[in-house]
Amino acid sequence: MSRFSRLLREAARFLWSSRAYTLLMMIGLIIGIASVTVIYELGAGVRERVVSIMSGMGFGADAFFVSSGGGRLGVRRPGGGSRTLTPDDAAVLARVDNVAMVVPHLTLRRDRVSHRDLHTSTVIFGVTPDYGAARRWDVSMGRFIDQQDESQRRRVTVLGSATAEELFPGQSPLGQQIQVGSVPFTVVGVLEPRGGVGGPGRSRDDLALVPLSVAMRRLAKEDKLSSIRINVERADNFQDTVEEVRQILRTRHKLAAGVPDDFTIVTPDAVVELITRQSRAMVVMLTFISAVSLFVSGIVIMNIMLVAVSERTHEIGVRRAVGARRADILTQVLMESVMVSVLGGALGFGLGALLSWLLEWGFDLPTAFSLQGSVLAFAFSAGVGLLFGLFPARKAAALTPVESLR
Amino acid sequence: MIRLKGITKTYQTGQVSTPVLLGVDLEIAGGEFTAIMGPSGSGKSTLMHIMGLLDRPSGGSYLLDGHEVCDLTDDQLSVLRNRKMGFVFQAFHLLAQATALKNVLLPFVYAGPYPTDAQERGRRALAAVGLEHRLSHRPGELSGGECQRVAIARALVTDPDLIFADEPTGNLDRRSSYEVMAILQGLSAQGKTVVLVTHDSHVSEMCSRVVRLVYGRIESDQRNPSPLSAAAMLAGLPPEQDQP
Repeated sequence: MSRFSRLLREAARFLWSSRAYTLLMMIGLIIGIASVTVIYELGAGVRERVVSIMSGMGFGADAFFVSSGGGRLGVRRPGGGSRTLTPDDAAVLARVDNVAMVVPHLTLRRDRVSHRDLHTSTVIFGVTPDYGAARRWDVSMGRFIDQQDESQRRRVTVLGSATAEELFPGQSPLGQQIQVGSVPFTVVGVLEPRGGVGGPGRSRDDLALVPLSVAMRRLAKEDKLSSIRINVERADNFQDTVEEVRQILRTRHKLAAGVPDDFTIVTPDAVVELITRQSRAMVVMLTFISAVSLFVSGIVIMNIMLVAVSERTHEIGVRRAVGARRADILTQVLMESVMVSVLGGALGFGLGALLSWLLEWGFDLPTAFSLQGSVLAFAFSAGVGLLFGLFPARKAAALTPVESLR
Repeated sequence: MIRLKGITKTYQTGQVSTPVLLGVDLEIAGGEFTAIMGPSGSGKSTLMHIMGLLDRPSGGSYLLDGHEVCDLTDDQLSVLRNRKMGFVFQAFHLLAQATALKNVLLPFVYAGPYPTDAQERGRRALAAVGLEHRLSHRPGELSGGECQRVAIARALVTDPDLIFADEPTGNLDRRSSYEVMAILQGLSAQGKTVVLVTHDSHVSEMCSRVVRLVYGRIESDQRNPSPLSAAAMLAGLPPEQDQP
């Protein structure tokens, strides 16, 4: 048996025989590490859920948006203000290398739609036939807007399931006429219900799609787009493609160097970033609070170790007398404090994981195992033990055998 | 075995310096059973601590087996204590939470390589002090005399040449004192060098040599050709009343 493992056994024996001290030393760490773990698991869970919702919407890692108007995501609503993108922009971008699909799109103001004496208000989108494929959104009855609708500017519409239910309760809307503002449209399809929220106070199934050309000429009365959705072929060149699109649009819009973009590029990462920004701020704050509590538990460990060392002065003297070197005493006390901290950290991590699981199970809060969080917890607790054990350990080792036996 | 020449020791407490040993010359041969006597403050414990390498002299020379030990490092002294010496203290200084056997095995924690027969040697050492039936008792479950015998077993387990005992009978009743002295006499008879500090002249009568220390100097150094036998004294005591 090596000297190191013999000392380790002595240290473990002390912790076991002084269980009350051991528990006292661990309790702060257990609570601190448990709360850090919960915070990190919640943070990771929120992020994971946002990403999964977005890829469910077809906004995974292979697509991005260019929307009209400058500014920054989250500061100005994309699509608000004046529209700067044109169908020609979209046509040019379709020829860029690595671009798989370009889906131009026009969002109109919420407008009144009616069928006979029933009416509701909904958001009208001007879209191209690719829209459904790009967003992985199929029709549950009828058909989607096709190329003829677009090129011949047919006044046809595909309704969201909620809007269809409002205007045609209990009957098929296919072939029926609706009025959008004062313009009549024929319903050719109804979208699959998606559920969830599509905007402030609005269901995602509350919408009406019309051919882009019709939306521009008959409803918006200008040949401008709200946004262009771009799917890339290879995700590894994603950033290069985003940058190329930016430069092409700046050239086409004749923007001089130094003039800010008159469009905004929205990537999935940026959206996740925006949505999780608030929860990240909370993570930072709670991490800070936990760090303070871990620091305090480090002080507690140091104090209890100091008490234990002075209580064990005679024991240390006997150990020195029977042949312990200063380094042996120092090592043993350090082992004790590191062991107690790592044990406390492990228990805290277990408790935190259990609490996270309970939060997910009982309150449906999203949580996910966070490797970053667990590594941080273990590193932190071992560090606390090492740092705050050093002073008591040095104190224990500093005594001469005679001093400690007296 | 031990050769001290001009050993001095002065304790420095802030501005005040307290001389404790004022030049001690002493030779102790292998196998001797030496009592160091003297009144309180005479420096007898300090002298034992210096001989036991628990403390360093302020001046002088200490040859242990012909080697100067004053120049050795702290770690080298630890190794020498571990290999060559055993200690018995007045207050026993056992680890309260450990069994008798674990206490006896403590020196092996700090031995170079861990002996494979450590457990067996611990058992033998406890048997040598008559405690083979107390292996897994903790100090709280043992009498004072038994505790001191565990401490002697701890001093014996590494089979050292030198045993230092600092007032080993100071906390014990008469019967236990005789038991402890009988064990120490037995060790001396086996050829171990025993150095014992005491202020009890009855105890010193059981040693083969008595060194008397007064105010940091050796006042007398007498051989005792016929030491009292502790075993005989023990046999002469009236029988124990209610010992289970």
